Amino acid sequence: MTVATRLRKTSKTWSMFGDVKKKPSPYEVVTGKFHYHFRRDPVPFEMDPDVPLNRWYLKNREGSPFQVDDWEQFRDPHKLTYKEYISLQKSHETYVDGLIDQFEDSNAAEKLDEGWVATLAGLYVPLRFPLHILQMTGLYVAQMAPSSYITNCSNFQAADELRRIQRVAYWTKVLANAHGDHLAQTGSARDPWENDAVWQPLRKVLEEMLIAYDWGEAFTALNLAVKPALDALLNWQFAALAASNNDRLLSQMFTEFQHDSERSQDWTQALTKYALERDPDLSKVLKGWLDVWEPKAHAAVVGLAPLFETAPVPMAAGDVVSEVGRRYTELRSGCGV
Amino acid sequence: MPRLARSEWYDLTRDMNWTLAYVTEEQAWPKDLSNGYGVSTEQWWTWDEPYKITYPEYVHNQAGKDASVYAINAVVNRSKLFEQLDPGWKSAIVAHYGAIAVPEYVAGIGEARMGRFGRAAAWRNMATYGTLDETRHGQIQSYFPYTLLDKEPRMDWAHKAFHTNEWGAIAARSLFDDMFTANDAVSTAIQLTFTFETGFTNLQFLGMAADAMGVGDLEFSALISSIQTDEARHAQQGEPTMKILVENGKADVAQKLIDHMFWRSWKVFSLLTGLSMDYYTPLEHRRHSFREFMDELINKQFLDQFRDLGLEKPWYWDDQYQAEQNWLHHAYHLGVWFWRPTVWWNPDAGVSPQERDWLEEKYPGWNDSFGKYWDVITKNVRADATENTLPETLPIVCNMCHIPVCTPAGYNAGFLNSPDPHILDYKGRRYTFCSEPCQWIFEQNPARFQGHESLVDRFLGGQIKPSLHPDFEGGTITTTHLAGVLDYMSVSMEEAGQDATDYAWAFEERDAAGIEAS
Ligand SMILES: [Fe+2]
Ligand SMILES: [Fe+2]
Repeated sequence: MTVATRLRKTSKTWSMFGDVKKKPSPYEVVTGKFHYHFRRDPVPFEMDPDVPLNRWYLKNREGSPFQVDDWEQFRDPHKLTYKEYISLQKSHETYVDGLIDQFEDSNAAEKLDEGWVATLAGLYVPLRFPLHILQMTGLYVAQMAPSSYITNCSNFQAADELRRIQRVAYWTKVLANAHGDHLAQTGSARDPWENDAVWQPLRKVLEEMLIAYDWGEAFTALNLAVKPALDALLNWQFAALAASNNDRLLSQMFTEFQHDSERSQDWTQALTKYALERDPDLSKVLKGWLDVWEPKAHAAVVGLAPLFETAPVPMAAGDVVSEVGRRYTELRSGCGV
Repeated sequence: MPRLARSEWYDLTRDMNWTLAYVTEEQAWPKDLSNGYGVSTEQWWTWDEPYKITYPEYVHNQAGKDASVYAINAVVNRSKLFEQLDPGWKSAIVAHYGAIAVPEYVAGIGEARMGRFGRAAAWRNMATYGTLDETRHGQIQSYFPYTLLDKEPRMDWAHKAFHTNEWGAIAARSLFDDMFTANDAVSTAIQLTFTFETGFTNLQFLGMAADAMGVGDLEFSALISSIQTDEARHAQQGEPTMKILVENGKADVAQKLIDHMFWRSWKVFSLLTGLSMDYYTPLEHRRHSFREFMDELINKQFLDQFRDLGLEKPWYWDDQYQAEQNWLHHAYHLGVWFWRPTVWWNPDAGVSPQERDWLEEKYPGWNDSFGKYWDVITKNVRADATENTLPETLPIVCNMCHIPVCTPAGYNAGFLNSPDPHILDYKGRRYTFCSEPCQWIFEQNPARFQGHESLVDRFLGGQIKPSLHPDFEGGTITTTHLAGVLDYMSVSMEEAGQDATDYAWAFEERDAAGIEAS
């Protein structure tokens, strides 16, 4: 290749990408190198070097032990831009709308067994609280991530949590219309969340995760420990429990949410692999964090599992825990840790 | 469609406020990331957004908006539309993309901060949409200039500007880092969403969209109008935050946050929007003057919003702000044009005889004040002495807004009592400010700004190596005497701004002028 051709080629892309051999894809063009503040000299932000947020980012992002020389080569395996994320989720939401239409037309909520509704009151109705913390932490990881390639994945993941919460909320209202207004009252969700013993291990790990401020630790706690465990518990075990209790809507809805969770796991695996390829020693860092967060996430699952035994067609708590554990181990080994 | 109306179930999507048991409030909502200003947790939980939207509605609306804007881009890319645009207008959009695209993307960090550290679940939800919106704005405003790179290499600055120390980029970065990337969630709601997005983005996004239509830049017009519909929604996080502060006896806090950020926004927008509207937009397509847009969108609409919320106009409104609207952006324009090698766009002088008539009409007295400087410049250009119209040194820049201090021009135009900058000696260091409000912002919170160095501080401190060979090549712009500075600013010789029309305006005769209509 002559110099002239190379020059012509490089002139067609962002100069910040440097001397790239391959023409960047549209995804890369709108995703790469947006965090001008990462490792900026002398400090991330154009302010006094000691303003709290400069210190915060230097400590929790630039100063994180989860560090490689260059984060900019990381790619979302799904290569989602905003535009593609929105159009993807529009089609998934259209599908869920269709599901709801179908089950509303057949008055499915009214036909549910009262015993099952009681299980839902204990296990399903409070869910919007813990799921909201997954949303919050997703946004934390996003604002702290060292590359816009990572930030965007985490932002979309947080939005996916919002999506799941809203569908949970919608169907809670439908259940309330059919089985008693109290189900739609805040207290019916918040009281178990704040007071029932079965919810406390989950609440504990989630509240503690909120203050895991090192960006690498927040990512690890959320995407490698708590979220995969909770996703397996809900999208698989709860979906299966709903199916065996004749609640096909919730079964299908949570099965649908698994698409979002898989996307989360895909970029999580890609990012951990990316980091470990560049610095194998980081596995010690990740393991150190997982030693803290994995037992807590496990305790959360153990805490909630007895609720699965309250259903008219129950599921043994031990089976719930071991199934979640099996899926969790799969993910973890997929990440190479 | 699902049977329940949004209003029947919406509250269940936003009531996730709970009492912490395993960590403390101060740990989970640290003051540095979320300054509650002493308002109680339960009071924050009453936060109520005026604009309701659900996730399914969001993805449906946004998919439609994106599809139509990208479709226009595809059509325009296949056409000659860009090539046919007026050179001054091209400069306006090159300036816009460089100053706006990346900040919009990082506004997503500010939104995500509110989405994590906002003090009510309802607020965190709105901020989650805001995060997505800003991702959209960052991406779409990078993609469009990217598709123009072949036709206009300076579009590279849409992506590059914030990575550089170009002086305008420093000013904009200083503004936006102060406003959201390095701000706590509560202050961000007041300063980014209320002050900036409710107020100033209207100016750039509605005002410029109107001009773009006139110019025939369909793409830019569609793009920024579409963006503005998102801004109008997520900007509404400011009002409920403000209401809570006001209802809980913290009106003074809100007032100070607004006074601070309104002034800083005014400075940067008079630089960006002021020049684009009154000098770069072709005369025949100017819908209104910058001043008229300011009067309508800021001085009337935005002021009404303050007042509705029980706040006062900022303390500097009558004496400083009203006065600056008469002269500031004219002075900035003169400075930017003179220091044109230091900007990433080609400044359009915009002072042909008929443009001067327009300026005089919109800003009575312009000919006697700013026109006089342009008379001298015009003479030099006509005498083929453009080297006299180029800079040899750096101007003084303000330690707050980081824009060159233009007080002499304001004084000469009769709007200031003194041509001198404002000087503050603080803890052994001397700070220079362009105006009393810039100094006031500093003094309100010196720790936020004191250790920061302006471009001139860096120059004097030896971080920027001055260049030692002042040689000119006839009338062409090769400002090697500024080479060291341009290097520091990452402005290459090819990129350094030049007069947008190659000085055509200087040779236009008043008589020949009237016919220019095609
Ligand atoms: Fe925006
Ligand atoms: Fe200033």
